[in-house]
Amino acid sequence: MARKNSPEADFDRRLLLAMGAGGAVFATLVGRLSQLQFFEAEHYRKLADENHIRLVLAPPERGQILDRFGRPLASQRQAGRVSVVPERLDDPEATLLQLSKFIDLPESRVKRVLEEIQTNRIRRASFVPVTVVQELSYEEFARLRVRAVEMDGVDVQMASTRSYPRGRDFAHVLGYVARASADDLTRLAEGRSPDELKTFEELFRHPDIRVGRQGMERFAEDWLRGRPGRRRVVTNAHGRPMQELEQDPTNAAVAGKDLFVTIDAELQRVAIERFEGESGAAVLMDVASGDVLAMVSTPAFDPNSFVNGISGKDYAELRDNPMAPLYPRAHGGVYPPGSTFKMVVATAALEAGVVKTTDTVRCGGSYRFGNRTWHCWKKGGHGTMNMHNGIKHSCDVYFYEIARRTGVSKIAEVAHKFGFGETFVLGMTGGRSGLVPDPAWKLKARGEPWFEGETLNFGIGQGQLGVTPLQLALMTARIAATGAPLKPKLIGFGPPSDEDKMLDAPLDPAIMEIQKAGMYGVTSEPGGTGYRSGDLGLGGPRLAGKTGTAQVRRISAEERAKGIRGGASIARELRDHALFVAYAPTDNPRYAVSVIVEHGEGGSRTAAPVGRDILAAAIKMDSGRTPVYAKRASVTPSTDGKPDGDPV
Amino acid sequence: MSREGFTGYTRGEARTPTARALHFANFGPFGAIARLPWSIILLIVGVGLTGVAMLFSVGWDPVAQAPSPDEADLWRDQITRLGVGFVLMICLALLPLGIWARFAWPAYAVVIVLLVMVDFFGVMGGGAARWLKVGPIILQPSEPAKLAVTMALASYYQRMMPTNGQSPPLLVHGGALLIMLVPAALVFKQPNLSTALALAASGAMIIFFAGIAMRWVAAAIGIGLLSVPAIYTFVLEPYQRERVDTLIAGITGEATNGLGESYQIEQAKIAIGAGGFSGRGYLQGIQSQQEYVPEQQTDFILTIIAEEFGFIGAVGLLAVFAFLFVWSFRVAARNKSWFGRLATIGATSTIAFFAIFNSGMVLGLLPVLGMPLPLISYGGTALITVMACFGLILSAHLHQDEKLSSRGLF
Repeated sequence: MARKNSPEADFDRRLLLAMGAGGAVFATLVGRLSQLQFFEAEHYRKLADENHIRLVLAPPERGQILDRFGRPLASQRQAGRVSVVPERLDDPEATLLQLSKFIDLPESRVKRVLEEIQTNRIRRASFVPVTVVQELSYEEFARLRVRAVEMDGVDVQMASTRSYPRGRDFAHVLGYVARASADDLTRLAEGRSPDELKTFEELFRHPDIRVGRQGMERFAEDWLRGRPGRRRVVTNAHGRPMQELEQDPTNAAVAGKDLFVTIDAELQRVAIERFEGESGAAVLMDVASGDVLAMVSTPAFDPNSFVNGISGKDYAELRDNPMAPLYPRAHGGVYPPGSTFKMVVATAALEAGVVKTTDTVRCGGSYRFGNRTWHCWKKGGHGTMNMHNGIKHSCDVYFYEIARRTGVSKIAEVAHKFGFGETFVLGMTGGRSGLVPDPAWKLKARGEPWFEGETLNFGIGQGQLGVTPLQLALMTARIAATGAPLKPKLIGFGPPSDEDKMLDAPLDPAIMEIQKAGMYGVTSEPGGTGYRSGDLGLGGPRLAGKTGTAQVRRISAEERAKGIRGGASIARELRDHALFVAYAPTDNPRYAVSVIVEHGEGGSRTAAPVGRDILAAAIKMDSGRTPVYAKRASVTPSTDGKPDGDPV
Repeated sequence: MSREGFTGYTRGEARTPTARALHFANFGPFGAIARLPWSIILLIVGVGLTGVAMLFSVGWDPVAQAPSPDEADLWRDQITRLGVGFVLMICLALLPLGIWARFAWPAYAVVIVLLVMVDFFGVMGGGAARWLKVGPIILQPSEPAKLAVTMALASYYQRMMPTNGQSPPLLVHGGALLIMLVPAALVFKQPNLSTALALAASGAMIIFFAGIAMRWVAAAIGIGLLSVPAIYTFVLEPYQRERVDTLIAGITGEATNGLGESYQIEQAKIAIGAGGFSGRGYLQGIQSQQEYVPEQQTDFILTIIAEEFGFIGAVGLLAVFAFLFVWSFRVAARNKSWFGRLATIGATSTIAFFAIFNSGMVLGLLPVLGMPLPLISYGGTALITVMACFGLILSAHLHQDEKLSSRGLF
């Protein structure tokens, strides 16, 4: 037996000591376990639930845009979509190569997909699918459906996508949607609470969601978007949805509201075809209601190509095209109105009381003022002209004289009464005000006083004056309605466009009758500049109108001497624009139209037949008849996303 | 391992000379195998298999209700390693202590050389040089160091223990301290703090059990406590300091941001707490199945046990460990040689240190360091080391009466 204080005996004592310490450690661990798993278990169970149950965003269906008779202009369509899940791909490049055997997959697209895969990986979100092709053709979809089963990480499914069934026809009215960019988010974020903003960012990251980038899609974004819902799902630590839970019906997504425009899509089609490839614009409106029934700007682009992101090359092609398909001519194109402006000058002269309709002016082909000579379009002159004949023959000398007598300020004032110089939004983007010049403007913009000679140019719709085809249509409509107030409308049922004013500046009906008579003379009396286009070809009703030619380039004195007055002798882009404004039928006006054919040379020769045919089509198709949304238009529109009065 | 014809003692605990003399189990290798403590071995293998089962659960895909193909390797790898470790453990257990003691110094020397080489030519991995690459073989010398230092210290005391029944003089303990500190410092420099701490802890335990005067023990503890602030400020890397801060915040209940350093420990606590008293059930641990706890297959594997088997499962596992340690201490107490006693103490301390530190860390009581849970965490080298330590303990059990010469050990 070892001695009491031998190392052996000490060893046994220390063993007991160590075991005692170990016991204390064991007790501590068990104590901690009981604290976590017994006393605080409920707390941690709750934290675990919060951890893994997530409310995943359910995207709302975007509202449709329909024409006045319910024809879809922008709608959601189910289309086959192929996407890849980065985390399930061993070799993304090989997979895409394999896919390209079954579907059309351009090099640039492949590059972009690879970049997006990389981004997702960096963001540790490899489970978020990357769209390869948003819209598959039916054949591609059918082919891939069979093949994708064998390809790991490839998903082929039906998805909702924005589609514009009428393509180019409404490009400038509706605009288009696109994946939200950082700029879009900043723009839409304005005035929103941080909570809303978070939902917003999440919403716009969703592959199904697009934001209105241009046109009515942008203007009515809040109306069309709808409200996202939430789905309860179990997610893992990386946010990947693992399993669907029972859903709360109050948390379902609310679809966006449908929007009706006042346009008749069939009339729009006829009008576009009538341009036969020429560039130009036309606006036709209902004289009584102010409904815009056709709004043409041609050439145009296909908005469908923007929905899933247009390639840089395609966009450059559109941007650099000399015919400028991206340019919204009807409401954003500013042109000198030329002779179509003469009714405004005549109205101003009569309002000012400086001429009577019977006062005559002698036209000898030119007008001398100061030390300069202004020419009439008719070389030999028109002879003696009163107001009716001045309009009918579009005599420039007559209008030089009455414009000079009326003065620039009065003409500008009346021009504003007709709506010139004002911007009409009507729910679109890209609208412009044009310019009605006056001395104050000139002093400010040019730092020069107004020269009286400029008033003469103003009198025949040239010079600094700039107007849009939409404004010309409004002018024509107000004349046709004999000066009655007019509220132009493009949105039949949808969000209000508060910026648009009522055109209700008083116009003397007697003076308007004189203008109507003049316009009737243009198209329906022998010798009128538009006489050939006066018959609508409907065996009865005629139209009343006014032709116009807008100088793109001044004809110099030398050229004039050589007999060059334009036409085939100069390059196309320098040729004059042809304009025409008209209303019909003459006895009971229903429709007013404005037409501009760019570089079309003469209003009577190219623009007038187009205007006539559009008016004839509107009358034949009865485009102004009661729209399908008439019953709903009385419902006060609300923008909080409630489906009140969803149109059928 | 035939037990054919075996009629008597199942645990090899035949201690009376008469029984020993007569029974075949006392002769030859078969006899030695038969005398192994099979119930203890069964317990060790059982804990290892629990680890395999938990790795299967980590690799379970709750949506497909099937093993996830990406993670199926986890449990397959582990069961292979467990098999290799088992064979190694049995082989080592059969080695007489004399052989262990004879190889102690050569092993120690080789380990020191390898550690020096790692510090100079080591392969970097995870910000530290821990591996040596010799052709196709990758060595991690800090793992065998745990066993080698234990053997060297035990062998050292076997030689230096006075024959007059007195405790060894202080100088002898100083030498032991040096033997322990050299490899510990080399490992610390890699840096591999957890292994350095394990070496220091098991070395300290051996010196303690070799009979160093209690006043020195008290002095060491005192100095240790006093130097905590200095270590915190001057020795710890910034990321280690952050872990300590997180730990203190977690224990005192201060709000943490739930991200970065505190994320792992927060998620671990949620997993453990959500397990409750009886657990969510095997393969049902949502927190674990959805990959919320990082490093769940390695250092944090205790969380999935606690979530799926609850308080009962976690305490049960800790109790099994406690039982194995108490049994090992008893082996030490019964061994007749100082080498056997102290080697057993060292091996047990190494395993216990990892078990305690790992549990404490997962439960948020100790700072997060790379500490696997012995026998259970995924990983080959740690498992082999632990099995080898058990092999040494089993050998000390099997050869408890072996007389060791103090000569020839230097």
